[in-house]
Amino acid sequence: MRLILAAAILLTPVAALAQDDAQRDALKARQGYMTAVATNMGPLAAMAKGDLDYDEALATFHARNLAALGNYEVEMHFLPGTAQGEVEGSHALPAAWQNLDDVRAKHNDFTAAAAAAPEGVKGGREQVAAVVQSLGGTCKACHDQYRAK
Amino acid sequence: MTGAGGEPVRVRLWDPLLRVYHWLLAFFVIAAWLLGQFGPLNMTLHFWCGYIVGGLLVFRLVWGLGGPRPARFTHFVTGPRKVIAYGRGIFRREPSHWPGHNPLGALSVIAMLLVLVAQVVTGLISDPDDFINVGPLAGQVSRATSTAAVGWHNLGTWLILILVLLHVGMILYYRFWKREDLVRPMITGWKMVRRED
Repeated sequence: MRLILAAAILLTPVAALAQDDAQRDALKARQGYMTAVATNMGPLAAMAKGDLDYDEALATFHARNLAALGNYEVEMHFLPGTAQGEVEGSHALPAAWQNLDDVRAKHNDFTAAAAAAPEGVKGGREQVAAVVQSLGGTCKACHDQYRAK
Repeated sequence: MTGAGGEPVRVRLWDPLLRVYHWLLAFFVIAAWLLGQFGPLNMTLHFWCGYIVGGLLVFRLVWGLGGPRPARFTHFVTGPRKVIAYGRGIFRREPSHWPGHNPLGALSVIAMLLVLVAQVVTGLISDPDDFINVGPLAGQVSRATSTAAVGWHNLGTWLILILVLLHVGMILYYRFWKREDLVRPMITGWKMVRRED
């Protein structure tokens, strides 16, 4: 009994630490996902603006990555306790956890827009611009409500 | 514009360009505000409203330095003593007959101009991470600055709302408590003013 108690007391901080790790990992995964999306959006946005010459192979490459990222279930990284103020470096508003269904729906919009991207970017700069518009709109829709400003 | 015995006289206070500027500014600030809050995800129209507001602010700066007397900053920017002296009469139930922006109202004018300039600048350098509504000058500043600018721009939204509501509230206060119509002079230019010192 005494042994169990001593072990429990000793292990409590370890358990708390492990908990922190899970949350830090969730945040890292979430932000890494956003970075991956941004890194693939960047060249498409540059092409849409004309800063980068239209290149169908390059546009398709990034569009296919975005389609793959759209299919990823990023919701799993919206772990409770990882909102802004709960874990350092988080910019996600607590409202996201109160409206997880809406977050999911908004991510589904991104999934749909991204799924159309590989075919959508074919043809020229204007096609890329239209794809960037529809993808960017889904970024903004979620950021406006659930990301700290 | 001398009135005998301190009686208010009717003068053409606000010049035509200033009046046009005022109503255009009101229109485009409100339009930009509403588009920002409730507009489409593609913010091109909001951007255009912002550019127009920026242009109007440049005009106001030029007019404040070299325009007709009531429009000049030197005419209405005063020290705290004049503000306090004017503020003493704010509850009196009589028109101010002030020949221009009164010392208290001048504070509001300056606050609105400064906040709007800041709002235009932060808008120009904002990068909200959505790849479609990136300020045209966001690339000229660091990534950290263009991200932070989004927050400042958002803060500006609320400052503008407060200042505009205060502005409209005071106009109504003057109209119904002090029995002085400040809207009509901004339309026609004509205002009853007391003799200028």
